[in-house]
Amino acid sequence: MNEEIIIDVQGLNLWYGHNQALHNVTLPVANRKVTALIGPSGCGKSTLIRCFNRMNDLVSGCRVTGNILYHGQNIYGPEADPVELRRKIGMVFHKPNPFPKSIYENIAYGPRVHGIKNKRELDGIVESCLHKAALWEEVKDRMHDSAMSLSGGQQQRLCIARTLAVNPEIILMDEPCSALDPIATSKIEDLIEELKKEYCVIIVTHSMSQASRVSDYTAFMYLGDLIEFGETRQIFENPHKELTENYITGRFG
Amino acid sequence: MHTVWFFCAISSIIGIFFILIFLLYDAVPAFLDIGLIPFLTGERWDPTSIIPKYGLVPLIVGTLLVTIGAMVFAVPFGIACAIFIAELASPRMRNILKPAVELLAGIPSVVYGFFGLVILVKFLQDVLAVPSGESVLAGSILLGIMSLPTIISVSEDAISSVPRYLKEGSLALGATHWQTISKVIVPAALSGITAAVILGIGRAVGETMAVIMVTGNAAIIPDPIWNILSPVRTLTGTLGIEMGEVAVGSLHYHALFGVAVVLLLITLLINLAALTVMKRLKSSQTGGCSRKGMFSCRMITDRLSGITPHLPLGLTALLGLFLLFIGLWQGAIGILILYLTARLIDRYCIRQTVQKIWFSLVTIMMGIVTLILIFILYDIFSNGLPYVTLDFLTESPRNLGRGGGIFPAIIGTFYLVIGSILIALPLGIGAAIYLVEYTKENVLTRFIRTATDLLNGTPSIVFGLFGFTFLVLFLGFGISLLAGMITLALMVLPTVIRTTEEALKSVPDSLREGSYALGATRWQTVRRVVLPPSVPGIITGAILSIGRAAGETAPIMFTAVVFMQRRLPDSFLDPVMALPYHLFILATNVPGARNNQYATAVVLLVLVIMIYGGAIVIRNHYDKKVRW
Repeated sequence: MNEEIIIDVQGLNLWYGHNQALHNVTLPVANRKVTALIGPSGCGKSTLIRCFNRMNDLVSGCRVTGNILYHGQNIYGPEADPVELRRKIGMVFHKPNPFPKSIYENIAYGPRVHGIKNKRELDGIVESCLHKAALWEEVKDRMHDSAMSLSGGQQQRLCIARTLAVNPEIILMDEPCSALDPIATSKIEDLIEELKKEYCVIIVTHSMSQASRVSDYTAFMYLGDLIEFGETRQIFENPHKELTENYITGRFG
Repeated sequence: MHTVWFFCAISSIIGIFFILIFLLYDAVPAFLDIGLIPFLTGERWDPTSIIPKYGLVPLIVGTLLVTIGAMVFAVPFGIACAIFIAELASPRMRNILKPAVELLAGIPSVVYGFFGLVILVKFLQDVLAVPSGESVLAGSILLGIMSLPTIISVSEDAISSVPRYLKEGSLALGATHWQTISKVIVPAALSGITAAVILGIGRAVGETMAVIMVTGNAAIIPDPIWNILSPVRTLTGTLGIEMGEVAVGSLHYHALFGVAVVLLLITLLINLAALTVMKRLKSSQTGGCSRKGMFSCRMITDRLSGITPHLPLGLTALLGLFLLFIGLWQGAIGILILYLTARLIDRYCIRQTVQKIWFSLVTIMMGIVTLILIFILYDIFSNGLPYVTLDFLTESPRNLGRGGGIFPAIIGTFYLVIGSILIALPLGIGAAIYLVEYTKENVLTRFIRTATDLLNGTPSIVFGLFGFTFLVLFLGFGISLLAGMITLALMVLPTVIRTTEEALKSVPDSLREGSYALGATRWQTVRRVVLPPSVPGIITGAILSIGRAAGETAPIMFTAVVFMQRRLPDSFLDPVMALPYHLFILATNVPGARNNQYATAVVLLVLVIMIYGGAIVIRNHYDKKVRW
């Protein structure tokens, strides 16, 4: 890889209680590219993506060893502040989770908690984020309706817009389309294509075709091990490991 | 089978219906004689003077003052404790605190009242240097402590049931834990917290024994009205004190029933409000909403989210205006200063510091509550335990209870509890089976559920009055074991119905369908598939009811008990002694019986704590074991 490496995972192990969920994972992530994590259920791909913004801190009994370097700083180091980290590394969840507030308030929430109070500034952020998330045209006349009144696909794009509003560098997406129909899915995929011009995107997906469509790099995981990592085309067309090939060709999974 | 369950199910409707009818029947003569308006707006309550006065205003004012005072204390502390338990406590700490709060809800009110009488009132007397500590302040503090468990456990449920993904969504945006709590979690739990506060108010309004013991019971309007050191008398207190001494059939007697009707209506309104808020909560959480337009839940949640940012300011303004209105400008200024400090901290400290400040505040408040409760338990145990001897448990009382033991009271409580549970359990389980297994949701089931909820919120003293007029007088049971059993059974019936219903509902439909698919009848399915896994839930409900029945004083005060009964009851129509009533009389009417008072309190407390503890252990055991 001759890209700029923004996140460098080095020898990461993770335990839930006595149960080891990640074994010595090493993975470089390139800036302004899409990196997909694929693998069968329970392989640890969601666990891994939740390490990048330390969301696993919320799980009781979760323990981590190894390093994740973000701009060269270990995010699990003693001085790292998960709150500040999450501001730079946003996350979109597998089920749309808008707050039970209005559309406007959902997006303004992030800037507000980071201290922006000026109404005009907030308006600007809300509008530009909705544009970036390709949702502006659909909601511009009902900004103060409840976010719960949107369809599932719209809610997910709202969640993406909400993530963009705190101006992150990296966007983590944990199976963002798993609760959506094919049309909403294709809209999100188009959006990811747009987003990678400005952001680094890491996406967990169940769908191999989605990984091959949207990602530049792909990591294949199995039972907590990172089996193979490389350019997406190479992984799908010419996998080096037999396990990867079996999974890609649908012999298990 | 269907009809049997049906009749069980309408038992609670019949119960609430009979209560209303009989109270009204006895209250109407008073309304007619005194006139409804003079009765409600009269400014003096003095039924024993030469020209008797029957005006409810001082009693209503007394109830209001004590309740407001209780909430000023209980709401902030209750919500802080709920936040602490749900969000800040480690899992191990939560596993201790949650059952502890439930245990506290089970402490009989007469024990709280006893503590208030011997410790709190004396303490206020010494610290404030007033002639008597029996006052609005004492009542407010005590009722505040008593309604804390309700507020804490219901708000804690509401906060913990805020979906995890909302919390994660907020944290993923880089919000601090406190920002997440104050801006996402608490607003999302707001309707649950509101319901908790309303239920707490209901508890405070309906409480009798503790209030009688600490408020001084002078039927006066405090002058000036914010004089929290003035004694007052509440609606419930009036019933508790005067009902025992009144001539049956006199105007005074009917006026007391008028008081009961007013009290019942107030609590019915409070409970209906709580029910409505909770229903809203349920429908807005599941996303299903039948109503459209102005009052649909979506509109309501929009509104709620619209007002939440202004909620602190609004509450401060309201409280400040209220204080100004009653002329207490020092209080208003204090509130203003508190509010401004909070705003300044929010504005000028970095958010990590803000979080630290708030978290320490919440932790300190939790600590204060814990210390108060530990102190109450410690005081009672340390003073009473030395006197709980074998003789004390097995002898009859002597010298008005100053000497001797409490054997007849233990036996009496035992009989009352067993009898009431034997009546309530079959009825309650039957009703729950009917509601869950034999009907679909329709007007009738909604009616039954509402009646059950209302019965649940009826003040215990109202049950006492109903038992007196219906069972003791109308049916001619006299002051008897039987009358007490039936009154208590009616009181615990809602608990049995609700817990059984929950247990039956938690059995997944797939099991029922599996049984039907094999050709089983409905009754076979219920008996062999649904009931067996529900047994732990039903037992829990039964045990909770036993605890409640064992600790209550007000319902049996006029229906079943006498003080100083040497012999044990021979038949169901004999009166008995009972532990809570024995403690009440010892504490209020027998000077110089301090040791036996404490000892009786210890026995009652240990009994109730053991019963509740048993229920909690059973529930936790099966919660872990049964996973669908």
